Amino acid sequence: MSELLILSITIPLGMALLIAILPRKMPEWAAKALALIGFALPALFSIRVFLAYFKEGDGGFLYQRVVPTGLDQSLGIALRIGVNGISVVLMLLAAIVGLAAGWAAIVSKAERKRTYLVLLLIMVSGLLGIFSTYDIFYLYFFHEVALIPSFIMIAIWGGPNRRPAAMEMTIYLTLGAMVSLAGLIGIYVGSGLGSFDLISLSEHLASNPIATTLGQSLFGILLFGLGILVSLFPFHSWAPRGYTAAPTSVAMLHAGVLKKFGLYTLIQVGLPLLGSAAFRWTDTLTVLALGNIIIIGLITMAQRDLKQMISYASVMHMGYIFLGIATVSMLGAGGAVFLMLAHGLSVAALFHLATAVQHRCRTFNLDEMGGLGKEAPVLCGLFMTAMLASVGLPGFANFWGEFTVFASIWQWKPLILVLALTGIVISAIYGLRAVSRTFFGQPTEAFREIRTRHLVSDIGWAERIPAVILLIALLVFGLIPHWAGNPVEKAVAGIWQKQSDLNITGQRLDVRDAGSLIAPDEANESAPQP
Amino acid sequence: MVSNANILILFLLPLCSAGLIALLLGKSGRIAAGVSIASAAACLIVALRMLSHWDMETVHRTVTWYSMGDLKVTLGFLLNPTAAVLLFVVTFVGFFIHLFAVEYSEHDDARGRFFGGMSIFMFSMTGIVLSSNLIMMFVFWELVGFSSYLLIGHYRERESAANAANKAFIVNRIGDFGFLIGIIAIWAKFGTTDLLALEAMVSADPSKLQTMIGLLLFCGVLGKSAQMPLHVWLPDAMEGPTPVSALIHAATMVAAGVFLMCRVFFLFSADALEWIMWVGVVTAIYSGICAITQKDIKKILAYSTLSQLGYMVAAFAIGTAAAHAGHEYGVGASLFHLTTHAFFKALLFLAAGSIIHATHHEQNIFRMGGLISRMPWTSVCFSLGLLALVGCPGFSGFWSKEGILSLAWEHERPVFYALLAGVGITALYMARLWVTVFLGNPKTEAVGHAKENSWVMVLPLVVLAIYSVFAGWFTPLFPNSTLPILVDSIPHAPESMKVWLPILSFGTMVVGLVLGGLIYKSGGEKDNLETGLPFLYRFIQSKLWFDEIYLFYVQRIQQPIARLLSHIDLLVISGVGMRGIAGGGAGLMGQVLRLLTTGNVHHYVYWFAVGILACVAVVAGLS
Repeated sequence: MSELLILSITIPLGMALLIAILPRKMPEWAAKALALIGFALPALFSIRVFLAYFKEGDGGFLYQRVVPTGLDQSLGIALRIGVNGISVVLMLLAAIVGLAAGWAAIVSKAERKRTYLVLLLIMVSGLLGIFSTYDIFYLYFFHEVALIPSFIMIAIWGGPNRRPAAMEMTIYLTLGAMVSLAGLIGIYVGSGLGSFDLISLSEHLASNPIATTLGQSLFGILLFGLGILVSLFPFHSWAPRGYTAAPTSVAMLHAGVLKKFGLYTLIQVGLPLLGSAAFRWTDTLTVLALGNIIIIGLITMAQRDLKQMISYASVMHMGYIFLGIATVSMLGAGGAVFLMLAHGLSVAALFHLATAVQHRCRTFNLDEMGGLGKEAPVLCGLFMTAMLASVGLPGFANFWGEFTVFASIWQWKPLILVLALTGIVISAIYGLRAVSRTFFGQPTEAFREIRTRHLVSDIGWAERIPAVILLIALLVFGLIPHWAGNPVEKAVAGIWQKQSDLNITGQRLDVRDAGSLIAPDEANESAPQP
Repeated sequence: MVSNANILILFLLPLCSAGLIALLLGKSGRIAAGVSIASAAACLIVALRMLSHWDMETVHRTVTWYSMGDLKVTLGFLLNPTAAVLLFVVTFVGFFIHLFAVEYSEHDDARGRFFGGMSIFMFSMTGIVLSSNLIMMFVFWELVGFSSYLLIGHYRERESAANAANKAFIVNRIGDFGFLIGIIAIWAKFGTTDLLALEAMVSADPSKLQTMIGLLLFCGVLGKSAQMPLHVWLPDAMEGPTPVSALIHAATMVAAGVFLMCRVFFLFSADALEWIMWVGVVTAIYSGICAITQKDIKKILAYSTLSQLGYMVAAFAIGTAAAHAGHEYGVGASLFHLTTHAFFKALLFLAAGSIIHATHHEQNIFRMGGLISRMPWTSVCFSLGLLALVGCPGFSGFWSKEGILSLAWEHERPVFYALLAGVGITALYMARLWVTVFLGNPKTEAVGHAKENSWVMVLPLVVLAIYSVFAGWFTPLFPNSTLPILVDSIPHAPESMKVWLPILSFGTMVVGLVLGGLIYKSGGEKDNLETGLPFLYRFIQSKLWFDEIYLFYVQRIQQPIARLLSHIDLLVISGVGMRGIAGGGAGLMGQVLRLLTTGNVHHYVYWFAVGILACVAVVAGLS
């Protein structure tokens, strides 16, 4: 299986290389075919790995393979390949969204398509890398591999305002990445182990935890660095503008998968290694996450631009995931991972379908649409389904993620749940409003004029496929949540088992049956109020 | 004989039908209708077979669905008397409404989508009825909301239909907000949401009961059963096709809230029940009065539905409180009224649909008139449904209303008088409707040329009319096991009132009917109340300004706040704030880089690489 993991990273990279060195005279379909292979094979491999892990995984890292890099001795860096219950789920997400976004790019009308595909393949390779390594250095490295092409693609193939948007995004995200790198390096240095190996780090830190103050500062650094990457309120302003300007496939991959890097690192690295240092930050994180849900939620309601609305909505949903993390509980972390999977699939579908809407209405402006459902009933059905999935309709994966997070919040602080739940009403309002403005009612003046000049047709098969892939995945995990829940549950249970042995504040922390790391009262004692 | 195969068929057949229609038959309305009806018929047969062989023992089967730490959700099936009654009602009424819809939707371009939505509804409704735990019930609860959204907004090109669909979904979400908190609170407190396990725990230790939990669960009922103050969506929901109004917004889905309460009656404390009872009573009276000034035939019936749901909610609260206090009643009266109401209200809506179909979509009652000679079958069926609704002695509605009234008489005297007044109001608005629609002269040409519809549309009316008349006492109409459940658990009038109570309610009804008949007998195009007492008329028509207040909140408060926040976000957070912060302290680097890169990403990337290298160098030095 570890070969499949390595191949998943290298095949897109290899295809990118092939397309790049292909003589210019070669027809474009050859480049497209190569790209399709580069997107499709990793998806197949990921499904294979996922199924294997589902059968035999115990939550811990399996299919391990260490590829030496020459830095093992000096710095403790090696390409350590392997997946655990959390990363195998997210790797599947990366591969599925990669295939959907890749397909969308192949059939898109982008200029200089070869270069576009090359960059996109590199991005996909980086994304798959993030979730198939357990070496912290490479985790970060793969993130950069995926991030840099996204900047370039936005700046070149983006929509209106792409330059300032790309600029703003670049500055924010690089700042975030730098800060989180500092945090990761801090863990590396603070542990004194001299290795970036996540497994040995967690074993080592279980017996020799990082000093409380240092641990708390490191978690804080990680939290804010990664928070910027995940558009934590109020560091979110890059996201709506960036995604609005980004070409569709990039928005799909960035909002769907790359953004999850920050959350993934918090759950996979921050919580297990720094343990109860996280409690120092839960209050802050809770307030900011509620900002994501309520303030950004209200802002989303005021949006007039469909793509910008979806971007804001995706920022809003990060609030739930952050809240799951803020509970520092098994249930919260598990729900967060489930929601990451679901959100990635649904937001990618929405970005893709919003572009399909734009192709027909020639605008993203909701005030200039209306009545598209008559010409494009299938598009209407797909878009409505994706929107309802993203607002948490049961039957789709998002519901289970949100529900689990809600349950974890109630065990922790009921009042916070009451505040957070206003989000389900807010999201229903903007979601349904977007659907009805776009597809229902009579066409607006502007759209009526467009219709006289252009033929407005329903969504074709080529455009349909990415949406269908994503929606099927959402339905499968929504109807059979056990498939994604089981590996994640085992993995977080494993982490919390180790956590129970942590002994940071001098007193032994009990794992309560409820799944919370320590009782809320104790948490308040051990966490000095900010 | 409740085999697993039967259960699976009940769950999966409508789902497969919906899936098939969505995937393949969207364009072919005829086949879609066939598939949908076949699945509804098969479900009815399976349900009837299952119920007639059922030995009244509770059947409970579960498998694991989802698990994350302590949160264990099962996929389960729980058949008990309450569920059996509803299963029969849903599959039976559902099938006949499907049958009715075949001809009704004949000229509909989107017939496939319509029947797809109906199948999704049947699937979700069966799910609610048979769910064995609250989380699973919530899943289906939201799914019926979804199918309701789809079907209310069926006529997509109508702006009003789209708005009504959104309103229904959002108002229901507001109710579900509380419902969801309630479910999670129950799970956190009891460690499970399985209905049987919860009942066992509560009966073992009644002190575990919290008023808050009951009220939170009731929030869901407020939304789904459209009780005050979340009732505003139901009248608007009449934008949907009439069979949808009959099935979803009269007979079954809106009753799901009452069913939910009956299913988990043990979770409501006495204090919670007090609140619930008054909400029900107020809704019953308020909506009855609102119905008096409506002109759209479907909206009159919708307000009537609201009012009857209020009766059920009040009856549930009184009965359960009585049961808590050691009396024998329980939820019987509420459930029985739910059942009879499902038959006669579905009938009234279908008959209204038959009229609307025959008059080319005329819905204003003041433009109808004289239909009794033109559509005899429909008129007779409608009249029978009407008599059942107003509680004419002998009709099904009489028995169920008498159960509620006796309950109220014995335990809550003020409620009794309020509900008795409600009987008079019901009679008044129904008399107004009947006189205006069926007597007098037709006001438009389309109404004048109206003809009776074909037997496919009439047959469901006749069947439902039979049930509306006889369902109160004629046992053979029900599968073996269900009617005893109903009949045995209905409260009867106490000895002292045995004679007086029926006389009192009959008298009130007659007064209402006569009053309505006298006011509206002239049958003009104008509402006589409007010309006679314009002030009163306009006051009633305002419906206490609920819609206006909500609209004011949305347009003048919520939306401006959202826009204001959006501007702040644009200007302050991203414009001044974040760049300002980026200017100082830790962000200095970002600022410097920005100066260095002005507009060119490539330069930036080099600087970026240098930065990484520098960091790595620092690390190397440190280690």
